[in-house]
Amino acid sequence: MERYVKISKKDFYKWVDSLKKHGKVYAPKRKENTHVFRPIKDSSELDLNYISTILPPKKYYFPQKESLLKFSIKPFETAKAIQKFEEFVLFGVHTCDLAGIQCMDVVFREDPLDPNYINRKDRMTTVGIECLKPCDKHASCVSMGNHVPRGGYDIMLTEIKGSYIIHLNSQKGEDILQGHSYIKKCTQADRNLLDSLRKNKERVFKEEFIGQLTEVYTVFSKLSESGVWDDVGKRCVGCGNCTTVCPTCYCFDVKDELDLNLNDGLRYRWWNSCQMDDFARVAGGEDFRPGRVSRQRHRYYRKFKYPIDKFNRYFCTGCGRCSRTCMAKINLTETVNDLIKEHRNVSIGI
Amino acid sequence: MKNKKPKFAFFDFTDCEGCQLQIVNLNTVLVELLEHIEIVNFREATSERRNDYDVAVVEGSVSTPHDIERLVKIRRQAKTIVALGACATIGGVNAVKNLNPPGIAQHRVYGDKGKNFETLPVKPIDCFIKVDYYIQGCPVHLNEVAEVFKCILAGKKYDMPNYPVCMECKMNENVCLYQKGQDCLGPVTRAGCGSWCINNNNICYSCRGLVDNPAVDAQRDILDKYGLKLDEMLAKFSLYSACGGEKYDQEIKKR
Repeated sequence: MERYVKISKKDFYKWVDSLKKHGKVYAPKRKENTHVFRPIKDSSELDLNYISTILPPKKYYFPQKESLLKFSIKPFETAKAIQKFEEFVLFGVHTCDLAGIQCMDVVFREDPLDPNYINRKDRMTTVGIECLKPCDKHASCVSMGNHVPRGGYDIMLTEIKGSYIIHLNSQKGEDILQGHSYIKKCTQADRNLLDSLRKNKERVFKEEFIGQLTEVYTVFSKLSESGVWDDVGKRCVGCGNCTTVCPTCYCFDVKDELDLNLNDGLRYRWWNSCQMDDFARVAGGEDFRPGRVSRQRHRYYRKFKYPIDKFNRYFCTGCGRCSRTCMAKINLTETVNDLIKEHRNVSIGI
Repeated sequence: MKNKKPKFAFFDFTDCEGCQLQIVNLNTVLVELLEHIEIVNFREATSERRNDYDVAVVEGSVSTPHDIERLVKIRRQAKTIVALGACATIGGVNAVKNLNPPGIAQHRVYGDKGKNFETLPVKPIDCFIKVDYYIQGCPVHLNEVAEVFKCILAGKKYDMPNYPVCMECKMNENVCLYQKGQDCLGPVTRAGCGSWCINNNNICYSCRGLVDNPAVDAQRDILDKYGLKLDEMLAKFSLYSACGGEKYDQEIKKR
């Protein structure tokens, strides 16, 4: 198959309906005034005109609560909790969330490999969709470089003039496109349209941060002590919304749950967050990160400093969810810009 | 084998007995639990009245001198005390009495004969006796009841959640009520209910009480952001937490 193909909007929904033979289809669906990823029965439930879902699609490859192993005490035995992982199609993923998937990949594929994540991820076919206009004031995808496709998908859809241009990125992507006569080759004219669309995007999408990422990194290296953190920490209510909705937050806690026979049980993991009061508390009662100032700072450092040192990758995707969901108006773009401003002022001696 | 089962007793104080009803609602789980425990005293479910119990599950708050006497006696007998439900753990709904000057409730309920009924400001049971396990909520959540009972039987501590309801609510992908202009007490309320009320289109009334370390300053900012009124929120808060609310109330008002 060609690397670029296209499908007319008239045939598009027919094709979406055909996807269920490749597994359950999870796609953005309307929920009250917002959207959520949900299994869809057919294309009528799909709504691609969305800003961002409440939770990122990470819930499908890193579920909120996930069984790890079954055990019994007498006789002492353990067994896999999940025997079979299902194939599924993750449909209509924005480029920011695709960046999130790539971040998770880096983390969970690091030694020791995370078998549950990999089992799910290997059975996932990802269909991306390109945003044509900036979504809202909360996103910072341009500064993070994620307003354009940068991989992490099996196919990418870009809507142009009554059609979707499809970029094919993998064998899995080819599998879901094959056998449909209405999926056509792209002409040179189509490719030119795609090029000019991307050029136009450079004009429409504006950088949200007042400095380049290199400067952001430098600022984070220098300003671990700053009034900006005091302000953010003071406003934080500690609800944990920011980390729950973050596409790159991957912390979890592991718990054992006994059956009522008090002999068999299940070990599971569930999402946990550095924003929780007890997160860094250890035996003996010592808390390594007391207070909301240090906890909020830590969250930012896990996006703009530590993962760059460790994986050479920013762990903010620019999706804007943390700012959108924050109860206390803590805004990621504002925080980063305030830090940059403070650093510039310090540098020139104000 | 049978006599090795720990003996459980259930007692009620100032409350509606709804949390004991939840125990009965455990249904098949209760039947399975009975493989491991013996119930020797449970007014709402059995006619047996024995006082040789090991574990006392106490429902309700303390509101009379007689309550204190009875409670202390129960503590002396029981190896383990479980506080069951909002009234026992945080004072609960009946603590609204504390918001009025002393005597008002007696007069309203008993009229002229009010002075014959000695009454005290409502308090949770741990103001008087040591409590080993807490099961929060109004009513208690069945999963949590089962979990706590399993911990008791296994001799384990129960890790009561110390994070706000928002955490569970977000995981359930509910649309935030603040975005719909409603003031919900989720951001400061101890989780563990799986955002039960919000899942069912209600707000959180903080029936599980506050997290250990609520951010009162920040909660104030939130109300400002969404244009909500402090008094209305405090009124909601006092529905369940009139006992513990005093400190919170002062802190939030002082700015």
